[in-house]
Amino acid sequence: MYPRPIQEDARGRRFAYMAIVWGILIIWLAPMFAIMLTSVRTASDIAAGNFWGVPTSIGLIANYTDVFTQTPMAGFYLNSILMTVPSVIMVLILSTLAGFVLSRYRFRGNMLVFAIFIGGNFLPAQIMMIPVRNLMVALGVYDSIFALIIFHTAFQTGFATLFMRNFIAALPSELFEAARAEGASPTQVLRHVVLPLVRPALAALAILIFTFVWNDYFWAVVLTVSDTAKPVTAGLAQLRGQYYSAWNILSAATIVVAIPPVALFYFMQRHFVAGLTMGAVKG
Amino acid sequence: MQSNKAGVSRRTFIKYGAGTAALAATGLGTPALAQGRKIKIFANQPEAGVRAGLKDIVKGFTAASGTKVELSFTDHEAYKTAIRNFLVTDAPDVCFWFSGNRMKAFVKHGLFTDLTAFVDKEGYRDVLGGVISAVTYQGKVWGLPLNGTLWGNFYLSNVFKEKGLTPPTTWDETFAFNDKVKGMGLVPMTIGTKELWPAAGMFDQFSLRTIGLEKHMALMDGKIKYTDPVLKPIFDHWEELIKAGFFLKDATSYGWQDAAALLGQHKAAMMNLGAFVNSALPAADKDYLTYAPFPKIADIPRYEDFSTDSIHVPSKAKNPDGGKEFLAYFYEPKNLMKFIGPAGAVPPRNDIPKGNNPLINQAMDSLRSVKGTAQYYDRDTDPAMAQAGLKGFQEFMAFPDRREAILKRLEVTRQRVFGNI
Amino acid sequence: MTDFWRRNRSWLWPVIFILPAAVLFGVVIVWSSVQTLWISLHSWDGMGPMKWVGLGNYVELFQDPQFYVSLTNNVIWLVLFMLAPPIGLGIALLVNQKIAGMRFAKSLFFTPLVLASVAVGVVFTWVYTPQFGLLSLVYGAFGAAAPAVLSDPNAVTFAVVGAALWPQIAFCMILYLAGLNSLSEDLIGAGRVDGARGWRMLVHVILPQLKEVTFIAIAITAIGALRSFDLVSVMTQGGPFGSSSVLAYDMYRESIFSYRFGYGAAIAAVLFIIMLFFIVWYISRLIKAEREA
Repeated sequence: MYPRPIQEDARGRRFAYMAIVWGILIIWLAPMFAIMLTSVRTASDIAAGNFWGVPTSIGLIANYTDVFTQTPMAGFYLNSILMTVPSVIMVLILSTLAGFVLSRYRFRGNMLVFAIFIGGNFLPAQIMMIPVRNLMVALGVYDSIFALIIFHTAFQTGFATLFMRNFIAALPSELFEAARAEGASPTQVLRHVVLPLVRPALAALAILIFTFVWNDYFWAVVLTVSDTAKPVTAGLAQLRGQYYSAWNILSAATIVVAIPPVALFYFMQRHFVAGLTMGAVKG
Repeated sequence: MQSNKAGVSRRTFIKYGAGTAALAATGLGTPALAQGRKIKIFANQPEAGVRAGLKDIVKGFTAASGTKVELSFTDHEAYKTAIRNFLVTDAPDVCFWFSGNRMKAFVKHGLFTDLTAFVDKEGYRDVLGGVISAVTYQGKVWGLPLNGTLWGNFYLSNVFKEKGLTPPTTWDETFAFNDKVKGMGLVPMTIGTKELWPAAGMFDQFSLRTIGLEKHMALMDGKIKYTDPVLKPIFDHWEELIKAGFFLKDATSYGWQDAAALLGQHKAAMMNLGAFVNSALPAADKDYLTYAPFPKIADIPRYEDFSTDSIHVPSKAKNPDGGKEFLAYFYEPKNLMKFIGPAGAVPPRNDIPKGNNPLINQAMDSLRSVKGTAQYYDRDTDPAMAQAGLKGFQEFMAFPDRREAILKRLEVTRQRVFGNI
Repeated sequence: MTDFWRRNRSWLWPVIFILPAAVLFGVVIVWSSVQTLWISLHSWDGMGPMKWVGLGNYVELFQDPQFYVSLTNNVIWLVLFMLAPPIGLGIALLVNQKIAGMRFAKSLFFTPLVLASVAVGVVFTWVYTPQFGLLSLVYGAFGAAAPAVLSDPNAVTFAVVGAALWPQIAFCMILYLAGLNSLSEDLIGAGRVDGARGWRMLVHVILPQLKEVTFIAIAITAIGALRSFDLVSVMTQGGPFGSSSVLAYDMYRESIFSYRFGYGAAIAAVLFIIMLFFIVWYISRLIKAEREA
């Protein structure tokens, strides 16, 4: 491991190290504290320009309740999950397959295909608005979560393929040569060589893609209008009025919306480590 | 394909497949009936109070007519994008929008239903009076006007009383007011131009007070050059006030709500916006917010910005009759006020009794002496022109000396949008 | 049939593997992008009929002073954004320890990435707001007045980039964390035997192994810098008077607010051509690196 692990028995050093980490973390999260603080403020505090001071009165319960009563937030939440989870799974599958082929098979146009994946990913997505909308209308999925799943899967596959291709390309080629010498078929190579080794990459990728899809607001607005199809980000925006925005309630909603990706990151960390142990056994 | 035979398209099925598969399942049983007895409404005013009012109306309508309503909200800015998508593809039966120029854009593309016969049948012409012109285009009525916002100066009467201030009514008084207020350490007029449009509101005020409504509207329609000397009094007066330090410094750093906070902190005397300023004030001050017209400058009749939102039936609506049925119910005075009251806006119907909201009453009284109204800069002129204008006015407020360069740039845009004159 | 399969499966499998991704990406993304290029040759309000203008939109674009302001800002974004990978690596190294509570600390470092950009923008606006923003309060404590950075055409882009770096660093951190977890223990061990420690170990043993990750981090950061517009939209709306705008925001504003989809598409096309330089640079480096290996 790098940096060198601090010894388990060096209690004092471990404690001091954590103190430094938390010190940095507090500075790092200062803007986050502002959001949390705002989420417990009352509207009067904000109207008085008190963004950074101690709240003069506490609106914690009222604000968080308002998030769920002012908008059908629970339904938006469900829509977001139903949209994000399939998208992430499909992206992981498609990009692992494509990345494997692009990194381990030489064929004419390999780099061209790869370049197109990267290129499409470099485009500012907003400009595809009208063509994508027309496509979804033609497919009969406009204003449904399926439109979002299709778009996000397609768009994120570009970035994910770039990621997976490089990761698989960096794996030791001896492993692949050995497998081929044993007469393993492409499916067997995929299952027994690639998959075990790319687990940390897949874990990181899953988190990133989940975060991107979950946080998307633009396409949510372009491809869905009905409350029955809208994900949580578009729901969050409903808390902004024509003129007036209730920042305290909006902050509370921001935190509510941020919980799933952060929780996912917390639990997926195990898989980074699992990938490490796997690598150690193989290596 | 099979579900198509059953009368429910795959598309409808998919749409509910998401969280509400059960809904689609019930739809499968009684397709024909459900189609006729269901309407879809898209709204763009998700503020808590307005939303609750609208939900209440929908509930009442369903109880009275037996028609199911699917009501969805979209935030105000995103709705401007969304409406261009749903009107041409998968339209609801009722949708909210803006009257005037923004409505015309869709009427020209044939995206709204002609409501003239409906309006005549319901007798709305009598109760609407002149307001109907906002939703009339080429002699036909394309929607129903909703909440009106009267734009002008707002101040806190408690603060003014305590400091012995009165809102200025003439150009000279404005300067006296400026000196007096600044002597007290207050900002005479707080304004946040980060969102750009408040700067255009100031432009409208100076334009309507100096060149008058007719020329103002000609400018909005692209019939006067931005470099035309006829506009000079607008910018002369505006510049004079800017240079006198009347407006909040570094206005571009503030959103309007941040700027309104200075009003709430009693650090600023006035703010030039609509009655919705109320929503950004601390609870203790809300009741004291008072309207005053922008001071008189030239000797011309009084014109004001009075913007109205509106409600429409898209021409691609699947159940336009259901949509109209809803409009009739929605437009009954007691229902209409459930929607308009919480926003503190002026009702379009003149048969609505006075309520107890002083801001609404004040605006209604004040409107009686108004000779004519515009909507608002970015509602009256072409959207591309408006974008350039907003930016230009923001710059002018920060650097009035750049006037000539700014106006030249706006004229380039005007020519591109409206053509040569 | 089975014969055919047996003879050709060595290349049929790869084709089957890549097909779903290629078809989906081709239909949704590539085809839409091509249509966008087509739109850029027209004058179109997004609803009515399209009017052919040839290169008219491009001619107008290159005469627009705003274009050059935004282009300059894009360069500033690009340069400053490159701080994200090293800082992200620094944090990843800091938290790559197995100590009680570290897992939770890592999650907290990650949070900026998952906050809605509206929230990030709004909070940083509160940092910069004159009179009652954080910056103003800090300056005020020393009896000074903070500069109104969001109103200063020369400072505003830096202020926005400052806000945008926050989530971008978290992004790079997670990439490096994944990279640090697939380091070769053998190489590290060998390095330790050779007496490499700390900084030298990092430069000579660790970084070469993180090359792939660094590559991705830089590419993604560059894309982010060129594409980013939501913080501009939330914090300044391109203001004051366009001085903090970037090409992506111009494109958005022209298309969505001014309803000039053709012109917006032209901006996107130019943006894409700029990005093409990166793509070509990126791929040529990739090919070179892999040939050497």
